Amino acid sequence: MPAYILQRLGMMLLTLWAIVTLTFFLMHAVPGGPFVSERMLAPEIEAALNAKYGLDQPIWVQYLAYLRGIITFDLGPSFKYPGISVNTMIADGLPVTLQTGLLAVICVIALGIPLGIIAALNRNRWPDTTVMLLATIGVAIPSYVIATVTLYIFALRLGWVPTFGLDDWRGYILPVFALSGFWVSFVARLTRSSLLETFEQDYMTTARAKGLRPGQVLFKHGLRNSLVPVVTVLGPVVANLITGSFVIEQIFALPGIGRQFVLSITNRDYTAIMGITIFYAAALMVMILIVDLLYAVLDPRIKLTSATA
Amino acid sequence: MSDIAPQMWEKLEPGDAAPVAAAPSLTYWQDARRRLWANKPAVVSIVFIILLILAAIFGPLFSPYSYADQNLRLSNIPPAFETYSVADGQGGTIRFFLNASNFNLYEVDTDGHVLGLLRGERKDMLKKSQAFIFGDTTITLDYSSLPAKLVAADGAAITPSGWSWNRTFLFGTDQLGRDVLVRQLYGARISLTVAFVATLVNFFIGIFYGGIAGYIGGKTDAVMMRIVEIISTIPLTLYVVLLMVVFDSGLYSIIIAIGSVFWVDMARIVRGQILSLKQQDYVAAARTMGASTSRILTRHLLPNSIGPIIVTLTMLIPSAIFIESFMSFIGLGVTPPLASWGTLTSEAVETMRAYPHQLFFPAAAISLTMFAFNFLGDGLRDALDPRFRK
Repeated sequence: MPAYILQRLGMMLLTLWAIVTLTFFLMHAVPGGPFVSERMLAPEIEAALNAKYGLDQPIWVQYLAYLRGIITFDLGPSFKYPGISVNTMIADGLPVTLQTGLLAVICVIALGIPLGIIAALNRNRWPDTTVMLLATIGVAIPSYVIATVTLYIFALRLGWVPTFGLDDWRGYILPVFALSGFWVSFVARLTRSSLLETFEQDYMTTARAKGLRPGQVLFKHGLRNSLVPVVTVLGPVVANLITGSFVIEQIFALPGIGRQFVLSITNRDYTAIMGITIFYAAALMVMILIVDLLYAVLDPRIKLTSATA
Repeated sequence: MSDIAPQMWEKLEPGDAAPVAAAPSLTYWQDARRRLWANKPAVVSIVFIILLILAAIFGPLFSPYSYADQNLRLSNIPPAFETYSVADGQGGTIRFFLNASNFNLYEVDTDGHVLGLLRGERKDMLKKSQAFIFGDTTITLDYSSLPAKLVAADGAAITPSGWSWNRTFLFGTDQLGRDVLVRQLYGARISLTVAFVATLVNFFIGIFYGGIAGYIGGKTDAVMMRIVEIISTIPLTLYVVLLMVVFDSGLYSIIIAIGSVFWVDMARIVRGQILSLKQQDYVAAARTMGASTSRILTRHLLPNSIGPIIVTLTMLIPSAIFIESFMSFIGLGVTPPLASWGTLTSEAVETMRAYPHQLFFPAAAISLTMFAFNFLGDGLRDALDPRFRK
């Protein structure tokens, strides 16, 4: 088990390095420097600015400096907001993004899995068809459409919820709904199909033949075995939700990391774009690692040994 | 036994045997087609997609407007309105409607064609009202308290004479007075082009990569699959965003950005298929007959793995549409005045309080299209996946 974790950590660091490198060189491939703007700067000032941020150095020196920064968790200064570091930008946005993200994760688990179970238990009857219809709608409609349409109906027309901000608990409803809609549907569909597959297994027949109560059969034998594929997708889901969908934060004007990211793109704030991308990627990978470790708890058949590919 | 009539025991001539009751055997494709046609949502989706493609290609040709034609005098007109009629003082009546969000009156004819903006008297800024004179009747538009209302000279509110559809701009106009329907159709063109081309690019990269990895196998396969593993842990949407920042927005860059990033699933599926198929006897037979690697790949392996590939392909299209609209939504898509469904939606969000019709049409279009491709993908999977064969 420790060997497996070490190997996975090594893989993760390798991937992170690849991401940092790719992001760095992509951002430096953008024509023009960060201080090139409509308002012409005096060449001396531009040179001084370039020197201050190390942009007059050869690119590999800049690259090494950036890598050094990453290792010490320093993502560098923002190019658009003087005196503010990318770290501060992320730290400012993180609480908001975490709050909505975690609420969305809770929604996905607390709604998606039970809906899937209900559908599977009532296969081809009305609860199943209803749930599957809703799930198809949820999977097909893009999150920003859900966000804008619900914003129009519930905030502008009916006035039940505020149109922006998180000042009161009702402000969370729409962002969390829009954020989790797709994944609730996805998890419901997955749980249903996985559970239906498990019902066909011999050990389920055995459990029923032994005379176990239906609840026991479902929870002890069916659910635990059918949740493995669900947990597989939950890793990326959790990471996606917690790092936040930038569009949702943009639409509801939530001051989270996602909105920061979109702002950095419009401002062409290259260090911020790089930093937030790397932060997203790192968060995603840590989540996936955690979920992979959780596997062993759910499915004893999976032994955490070094994978021999 | 004694119930059996004696003639039943008599010998039959060879041709007299009852015809064997069996359905004609179907090839894989016949069977798949039969199953797909039996799947109603999938058939409806196919019809919808074909109609959508036809509308996107030919629709703009039938419209008198182009996607970039602006008419600021006729901006933000809704697709349906309540008309009012008043006598014009010369024996006729003037029909018009009130745009309650920008406080303008527009003249319409009896069919619902928009004729133009009605000019009123000077706006009274203090009382928030504007007078309109029709012959000898004066009507005051009072917008001091919302919603704005029309008042006759004696102070009584005027009641509308009925609803009418907008026949000039079927879907209304946007904030620059451009026809929403035409922009919508152009949006469909852009969104579908991006989706199809990007999917094709993904398809070829995926086939090439997965085919090579699966066919050569061994160390090459291990290394190539490790790379795929690394790529698949990278949040790909972020990379499309980064690529768009580098390339600068535009139609070609978004196709390249989407096309170069989402081939990983395809590569995995193709590799898996090739790995299992290359053990088959007919591949060994082809090899003993001296067929080259490329011939085995293109003639034997790829055609036999086409089912899952098609399913993955159909599933890629809606995600490409989604990513494109998503990029356009955050301002990294096609450049104005070109429009895709994403840019139309994001433009509409700014004005949705006053003009929800601008939001409704692109949102409905993209949702319906996503539905159609999802249903079609599900249908194709059920039809082509042999595990579901009865």
